[in-house]
Amino acid sequence: MLARRIQVDWVIMAATIVLLCIGLVMVHSASTVLSAQNFGDPFYYAKRQLMWAGLGTIAMIWMANLDYHRLRAWAPKLVIAAFAFLAIVLIPGVGRNVNGSQAWLGVGSFGIQPSEFAKLALILFLAHYLADAQDRIESFWRGFLPPLAMALVAISLIMLEPDLGQSVVIAGTAAVLLVAAGARWRHMFGLVAAGLAGFAVLVAMAPYRITRVVAFLDPWKDPLGSGYQVIQSLYALGSGGLLGLGLGNSQQKFLYLPEPQTDFIFSIIGEELGLLGTVTVLLLFAVLIWRGFRTAILAKDTFGCLLAAGITGMIAVQVLINVGVVTGSMPATGVTLPFISFGGSSLTLMLTGVGILLNISRQSVDWVA
Amino acid sequence: MRVTGRTMRRRLVLLLLCLVTAIGGLIVRLGIVQGVQAPWLKQQADDLHSRTIPVEGVRGTIYDTNGKTLVYTATAPGVMAIPAQVTDKPAAAQQIARILGMQPDKVLQRLRLRQSSVWVTTGSMRLTAEQETKLRNLHLPGIYITDRGTRAYPYGSLAASVLGITGSDNQGLTGIEKQYDSILRGGRGYITLNTNAKGQKVPGTGEQSQPAPPGDDVELTIDAVIQQFVEREVEAAVAEYNPDHVTAIVEDPKTGAILAMANYPSFNPADWRNYPPATYNHNLAIWQTFEPGSTFKIVTLSAALQENQVKLNDQFFDPGYYEVAGHKIRCWKAGGHGSESFLNVVENSCNPGFIALGERLGKETLFSYIKKFGFGAKTGIDLPGEGTGILFNLKNVGPLELATTAFGQGVSVTPIQQVMAMGAIANGGVLMKPHVLKAVRNHETGQIVETVQPQAVRRVISASTDAQVRQALESVVAQGSGSNAYLPGYRVAGKTGTAQVAVNGHYASGHYIVSFIGMAPANDPKLVAYVAIDYPRPKQGVIFGGVIAAPIVGRILYDSLNYLGVPPSNDGIPKKYKWGDTVNLPVPNFVGMTYADAQRAAIQSSGMWRAAVSGQGKYVVAQSPAPGTALAPNSTVRLYLGDTPPQTQG
Repeated sequence: MLARRIQVDWVIMAATIVLLCIGLVMVHSASTVLSAQNFGDPFYYAKRQLMWAGLGTIAMIWMANLDYHRLRAWAPKLVIAAFAFLAIVLIPGVGRNVNGSQAWLGVGSFGIQPSEFAKLALILFLAHYLADAQDRIESFWRGFLPPLAMALVAISLIMLEPDLGQSVVIAGTAAVLLVAAGARWRHMFGLVAAGLAGFAVLVAMAPYRITRVVAFLDPWKDPLGSGYQVIQSLYALGSGGLLGLGLGNSQQKFLYLPEPQTDFIFSIIGEELGLLGTVTVLLLFAVLIWRGFRTAILAKDTFGCLLAAGITGMIAVQVLINVGVVTGSMPATGVTLPFISFGGSSLTLMLTGVGILLNISRQSVDWVA
Repeated sequence: MRVTGRTMRRRLVLLLLCLVTAIGGLIVRLGIVQGVQAPWLKQQADDLHSRTIPVEGVRGTIYDTNGKTLVYTATAPGVMAIPAQVTDKPAAAQQIARILGMQPDKVLQRLRLRQSSVWVTTGSMRLTAEQETKLRNLHLPGIYITDRGTRAYPYGSLAASVLGITGSDNQGLTGIEKQYDSILRGGRGYITLNTNAKGQKVPGTGEQSQPAPPGDDVELTIDAVIQQFVEREVEAAVAEYNPDHVTAIVEDPKTGAILAMANYPSFNPADWRNYPPATYNHNLAIWQTFEPGSTFKIVTLSAALQENQVKLNDQFFDPGYYEVAGHKIRCWKAGGHGSESFLNVVENSCNPGFIALGERLGKETLFSYIKKFGFGAKTGIDLPGEGTGILFNLKNVGPLELATTAFGQGVSVTPIQQVMAMGAIANGGVLMKPHVLKAVRNHETGQIVETVQPQAVRRVISASTDAQVRQALESVVAQGSGSNAYLPGYRVAGKTGTAQVAVNGHYASGHYIVSFIGMAPANDPKLVAYVAIDYPRPKQGVIFGGVIAAPIVGRILYDSLNYLGVPPSNDGIPKKYKWGDTVNLPVPNFVGMTYADAQRAAIQSSGMWRAAVSGQGKYVVAQSPAPGTALAPNSTVRLYLGDTPPQTQG
């Protein structure tokens, strides 16, 4: 027993806890203005985030101690349940619409995002499926297409909400899993080509879409419209400079930057903590990704390997998209920054994922690589 | 034991490298944004966060010549808007208008002005504490409550047309306020606040401010006391004669300083919006132009004496008319003045005598003196809106035009031009440039920044000629309209003037501008005073000219000289007349004249009598006392009217 406990990847654990703490502090700092204005309580968001962090940590510890192989048996049921929730949330009157996206289930201030749950369920299912399909993965019809179809069902349901950010994250995570599982490059590039062709058709149908996609290249073309968020985000990052304005001194959180506690929290980190803060956060994520893939490589079995790769891939894809959008490096899509952005479902599911990752690391064969 | 195959391991390492490289790329991107572009982005962000509210310095005070405050700036809270920051203008206008009880349209109109900042409230509006709280609680972006300066007038409407008015943004619009706007106007300062995206101040952040320097104060040559004397007299004249306009000016002839300037109708500068625009847009004393009438004879006399064309004791015969180019130009006195000296010509304001002087001078010489005295050109007074007047073009001057010009018809001049010309006579023959500004002072220290020096324009006539002209004018007063009753102890020189007003090219019956211009003391003039009454409507129906304007000038001069401490003097008394005596004058003959002609003759005569009219009709059929009777001042002359002219004319 003792030997197995020692094998837990403490680096993953530590990086996650540090990111979680940075997140708690920054959610509070970024949200004071908004919470004070909307709820009359500057700690409104911070209190809730703390509660979710506690819940998520419990889930993480639980998962770290639960043999991940037991999850495998649940995988088909979980993914069916996830798809069911994704369908239910679309029913008018059942799902709640926030910011133009029918993505929430729940009552009062407690909402659950089925799409977050679906991400993890899908990773679990794809890892389960692809672990079994190692011998036929090079076959397009029997190995490549079935997992792709599952991912496409999830993406389609989420695009009906619509939530472009979650769809892109699922697509990216599925791609990571397919590549890791040994899918043929021909199939992968074909998939990319098909995606580009589909986009070309969409652009041909409505040419304004291309301008929207490339709007991030020059946000000052439409500073009050499509470029607004990116400009405000760049103002925040630029104002922070190398060392930042100091914790709590953000100007952009005074209603200039939309959603400063969720999708754009990285801008506030940049403004208050400077380049030092942003690079620190990115390096913590890099460490996490490195240790995640290391866990995958060292995993006891193919299922564990793919599960670890999927969870790490999901974290990596969200970090890249979130920071990419915030720095104006890619078209705007709403994706949370793992462990840091405000949001109960996102935080709990991310920590659950890390718990699974930790359990895989505990069972790894030889962690000296 | 390793379960993962070689392919999977290779793929995982490849994925790890890709993802870490991507993170590396983002770190580079952050380095660019937070390092290279940071100064520019920070500048942009600061501009976005800070709201700069312009602040205007206090407008300078206007003092009279003795340091009495005529206009100062009082501050009161007002509502200011920065239109560019007001996001929803119609909604903001609605809310503001409801709280302030204003018209929403008018508020919206202000909010839509393309100016960096505008006042929503007028200067006279006072915000109540409740209104202020309500407005603050609206948190409207771009709407601020700051102190605004409002012009306050301790003397009410005193010297209103000189002081002028200020607009809703404290800018000078007329008068001194406009003329010296750049001196009075406060400097620009600002307050910079950190605000959130809704334009509200971020709590706990400081303010940077650049204080706005106040404008400079100006000290005028206007003397509030003399101005009060003048306005009292103007009001009395208005009550007595119900005229269209009255204008009065008092000048210091040695410096060209204007001590008082008043007009009727006047206005209250604090409340100018409630007056007809004509009252505050035009300063009649410098803007209105009209025929000067007999006061212009001073110019003809001065020119003739300077050019040695006449001596005051030369003889002249006035048969009652003067024939020019086949036209008989009649003297105002029916039958004429007969044989008289040129001094009598001046005393009697005898038109044929002045026509003769004009002919002796010739048109070039007469017109050169008219121009030397400053007519036909602006005097250059430091007030906006000065008129120029009209002279005949020399090319078009024939004998008839020369004749009328010589006694003051066919030219049009402004009151200030007449005052300055008379000032030249009073100043030993040197024409001065009029000015209202005396000095500029620092608003805080009171130190003098700039002092206005008297400015001579040119010498018009020699000192010896000037002495003769003044003697003649003193004689006019002594022998004619200037009775001892009005200025005991002070020697006054002056000239009455009566001008008929031409309407559509014809002289309108009954519409006269009656004026008097005088100086005192005659031997060393300290003051020149001028009063013109446009369209006096005497209650009796007929008025003797001397009764109207001269005593007003007399009272102004008397009070002002007393106030200035000028000692009374009985030196240099003219031979024929002792100060303190009553002077009896012969009554003109009105019988046979139409009523309008009688009215005109009476107004042009220098008699100091009251008039009474009996009966009705177009003609004067009889008068009492009989023509030629020597009559004491303040006696009554009765005119009997009938519908047919009497058959026998004497």
